[in-house]
Amino acid sequence: MAAFRNFIEEACRRAGADESLCFDLKLAVDEAVSNLVVHGYEGQEPGPIKVSFALDGDEIVITIADHAAPFYPEHAPEPLLDVPASERRPGGLGWHLIKQIADRLEYETSPETGNRLTMIKKFVRRPPG
Amino acid sequence: MEVRVEKRGSVAIVSIDGSVDGTSAPDLVSSLRQQVTAGTVQLVADFAGTDYTSSAGLRALLEMVKETRQHGGDLRLASVRREVLRVLELSGFTSILQVYPDVDSAVASFPA
Repeated sequence: MAAFRNFIEEACRRAGADESLCFDLKLAVDEAVSNLVVHGYEGQEPGPIKVSFALDGDEIVITIADHAAPFYPEHAPEPLLDVPASERRPGGLGWHLIKQIADRLEYETSPETGNRLTMIKKFVRRPPG
Repeated sequence: MEVRVEKRGSVAIVSIDGSVDGTSAPDLVSSLRQQVTAGTVQLVADFAGTDYTSSAGLRALLEMVKETRQHGGDLRLASVRREVLRVLELSGFTSILQVYPDVDSAVASFPA
């Protein structure tokens, strides 16, 4: 997981992105990859996970491609955020964080090419100095 | 991630340095649970050196907040960095966990 975070950190830094933005993108990628490892590839041989980072105009576009079991975002459990600790359930936080962080999310799945999650986030430049 | 434990009266201060993610979160649970098993249920997690947490770290905290409270204690956070605090806020954790600006105030929040 640290390898994916380091990749995003470095790409973000090279692009001159704001530190807080870099932190958020690292977190979103960590959550997406963790979901793949824990849920997507559950019960099968772990397959490849490819993460790419691109600056497209004033947007950062991160794609995560895999051949895990398809993910159905509409079926992901929504965490209950307004209940006491005793009633909180651990699931759903990762996808919740991804949705909070990304400006736009796209998800495609096909038996031939696998799955592709695209996260789009407005680029914010690191302040000078 | 590195974890250090210091006792101050009936409170254990568990300092967490580095990143808490899916790989290191089980170690965090085990360090905190060790204290509960030994009978110390008033815990302060010192986050001054924690530069990153994912939802795996939050799940670890949730598990141990529940466990300490079941035993009449609590797990409280201290010195949480801005970025990590934002993860807590985005996940609704600041309403279920008590967060203090420093270790001293977190320790003092427990009854002597």
